[in-house]
Amino acid sequence: MSEPIYIVGAARTTFGRFDGEDNDLAEEAVRGALADAGVTWSDIHFAVGGTNGETKPDNLVSRLGLTGLPFVTVKNGCATGGVALMTARNGLLAEGRDLACVVGYDNHARGAFNASPARYGIGDWYGQTGMMVTTSYFALKIQRYLHEHGIDPRTLGYASEKAFAYAADHPYAWRRKPVSVDEAMDADMINDPLTRFMFCSPDAGAVSLVLARGSRAFDLCDRPVRLASVELRGRRPGSFEVFSTWLSPGERTSPSIDAAKAAFDSAGIRPADVQVAQLQDTESGAEIIHLAETGLVEHGAQAEGYLNGDFLIDGRLPVNTDGGLLANGEPVGASGLRQVHEVVRQLQGRADGQQVPGGPSIGFTHVYGAPGISACTVLTTEGE
Amino acid sequence: MPTTVDDSLFSSLDPVALRGSECSCGATVFPALGSCPVCTGVDVTDVALPTDGIVWSWTTQHFEPKPPFRTDEFAPFSIGYVDLGPVIVEGWLLGRTEWVIGEPVRLVLTKAWTDGDTVVHTYAFEAAS
Repeated sequence: MSEPIYIVGAARTTFGRFDGEDNDLAEEAVRGALADAGVTWSDIHFAVGGTNGETKPDNLVSRLGLTGLPFVTVKNGCATGGVALMTARNGLLAEGRDLACVVGYDNHARGAFNASPARYGIGDWYGQTGMMVTTSYFALKIQRYLHEHGIDPRTLGYASEKAFAYAADHPYAWRRKPVSVDEAMDADMINDPLTRFMFCSPDAGAVSLVLARGSRAFDLCDRPVRLASVELRGRRPGSFEVFSTWLSPGERTSPSIDAAKAAFDSAGIRPADVQVAQLQDTESGAEIIHLAETGLVEHGAQAEGYLNGDFLIDGRLPVNTDGGLLANGEPVGASGLRQVHEVVRQLQGRADGQQVPGGPSIGFTHVYGAPGISACTVLTTEGE
Repeated sequence: MPTTVDDSLFSSLDPVALRGSECSCGATVFPALGSCPVCTGVDVTDVALPTDGIVWSWTTQHFEPKPPFRTDEFAPFSIGYVDLGPVIVEGWLLGRTEWVIGEPVRLVLTKAWTDGDTVVHTYAFEAAS
């Protein structure tokens, strides 16, 4: 059994449109996390930075200080935050270091994410015929999922309503205006069955965490949150991923299923034990699918869960309590760490927005993205 | 012969058939590949895919995609995954913007865009009834 790893500092910027430099965002988050942990940059032994943009995270040392520390850069699409966190954990354990800093950031322009076929190893014809569009992928996936599991499409509207309701109370979220189920359902159709209020948008933001190994964590933090597990998985045959010209018939697999199961097994925690969760909700349908793929809810039972209020702050399993991607947008490098930041704050009883009542002690996060990768964490405040 | 968006997608144009590849493990993929992503083997051969199938999923593209998308004049169009039996293939669904999962469709060649005097064709599926 390796030594436990704890999160002892966490900070994020407000997400949304941003006119400054990417590094301004990253620096703000890192300085916030260091202050939260009560340490300085010179105390950090190892750093990991994630971004999907053109800047070099490891060059942040020119602002933070030339301490000579090893600084690893991660670029794994939507799963970047999860991979950065895993890399920091591994760095602490493998090299016997005590303190690591993780930062994820991006500053996407409006309407970013215009993928080129060549980058994905697909012929030009795929983009020229209008099929290389991320929104149509999400629509095709949820259209099939709703059909297979007999789920009322109106459930998509409930997922949107929930996200914006949480965000209305969250000071760091981007889109904070409430949206009703009817407004979400009646908005402009983007790709059937998904409307304008059911998609997240690329934007800007940064998140940073400070990790500590072993008992050092309790010297730095009154209520450290244990990173009980972090697991990354890629796609297997049968998964349904973005920019797929073909799919296998037969059993559907998913990297989210595999990563979630590995994270729960590794932590010795059951999905039913989770008291607060963060799921990749690139659009409303993704949250519905991921509720089941992670094992938190049975396939087909999601609609009832939304109707019961299960995923609201006083429900059985509050989900995406900061508004998720739908309301925070997706600065790709920061998004997975935003999820961890929110769950850490919930478990510490100091949520920035709505606080889960009753002192939750077990949390879960899930990121998922192109070209079919997922990273999940289990976070706990037990075993102190 | 008609001009196409990419001749390597087709095993024949008249009658139209898509060119996939089949592995000795039984997996079929589209477009054809030189190796098998399912079993990791390289014992694959090109095959003409079935031309009749059923709608596996669908959506309608309500906004004009960004370049490299090409069209003479944009109008909302449907995209689907069509279950051809050995493989499920993504392509245009022609003639309507509302579809039902499970309805039968068949492969056709259709205009993608016009390039000067040349009509450039792509594959699509239309209702079989």
